[in-house]
Amino acid sequence: MGPLIPNGIISGNWDFVIAILLGIAFGFILEASGFSSSRNITGVFYGYNFVVLRVFFTAVIVAMVGVLYFDYFGWLDLSKIFILPTFLTPMILGGVIMGVGFILGGFCPGTSFAAIAIGKLDAVFFTIGLYGGIYLFSIAFPLFANFYDSGNLGNVTLTDITGISTSWFAMGFTVIALAAFWGTSIIEKRVRKNITEYKF
Amino acid sequence: MNRNYIYLTLLMLILAFGTLMIKKTNEPKQIEPQQLLFELIQPTRYVSTDQVAKMIIQNDPSLELIDVRNSKEFEIFSLPKAINVPIDSLISKNSLLNFGIPGTKVVFISNDDIAADQVWILTKRLGFKSTYVMKGGLNQWIETIIDPKSPVESDPALAFETYAFRKGAQLYFTGAKTENAEPAKVKVEVQRKKKSGGAAGGC
Repeated sequence: MGPLIPNGIISGNWDFVIAILLGIAFGFILEASGFSSSRNITGVFYGYNFVVLRVFFTAVIVAMVGVLYFDYFGWLDLSKIFILPTFLTPMILGGVIMGVGFILGGFCPGTSFAAIAIGKLDAVFFTIGLYGGIYLFSIAFPLFANFYDSGNLGNVTLTDITGISTSWFAMGFTVIALAAFWGTSIIEKRVRKNITEYKF
Repeated sequence: MNRNYIYLTLLMLILAFGTLMIKKTNEPKQIEPQQLLFELIQPTRYVSTDQVAKMIIQNDPSLELIDVRNSKEFEIFSLPKAINVPIDSLISKNSLLNFGIPGTKVVFISNDDIAADQVWILTKRLGFKSTYVMKGGLNQWIETIIDPKSPVESDPALAFETYAFRKGAQLYFTGAKTENAEPAKVKVEVQRKKKSGGAAGGC
């Protein structure tokens, strides 16, 4: 059956409608998980709050295992879904910049909008900076356009590169994620013991 | 720790473990035999060398030429912008990525049209749309575009039009010189002004 648009079940004009619905759902869940608080988000770095890791890992493993079952039941054709092309070095650098911004600002782009929605002032300033950054990036883009497009590996998956089957990856990743849930809860308990100025 | 978390953890583990039990059917999806037969008996899959030449000359972005000969033959001679997908490596993920791009017309080329036809059947069976075969293949291409025969006088006017197009296409693809390249010899005659006898009026 799926993916719906490439298979012609619904037309491509639904793109924006689906995007809006998904965006609302995403924003709601970000806010419901407490991601509109920069304390929760940066907590991963300082070790007192791993809610970000738990929420995102849960989303990833549920989606991952779910997609594999969907493929098996014939509801979703995995060969037809879009795979983002991999640009190895630019992506690593981008990840580092994103991480630094995360700790520095206390938000990622999506959560900053969720935080604006509930009226957080720091998120307003974060978003102003965000747009400033986008503007500077666009203007300075010719300077690093070559690097931006370098190292294109194409639309590859880990299975393509390593040859290990998708289900083993799903299994391994799930085990790692679940272990991380329990492991981080232990770290959390220890770190929180030593924190006095901030109550949970 | 909440007991529900333990249940959820176990549930997730079981589900993930279940994915290992899933048997992958590696058979590619295929169209119904009746539909394949229906498509097969229609001559509409053939495009002529003239049509292909016209599309190349007009730089038609929807044209995707797929050369199904082996890479050795491909290197010796191939049409401009053709992509080499040898017939023996057709059923691979990388090769199949070339087909089924929305808005493109895939035209298969081989020396004659037998190999191209075989590839056409395979891709059709795999469900790809807008695939065509160049009628007569590259042999026909050489005969009609690279070395066109001039029609005899009793041929219909259309044959002359086709010939004119093919001559033009020949120039485009080979860069051959035009036949009437020799410039017409023009005698340069210097015309001297005849001297008029005496002043003819005026002041």
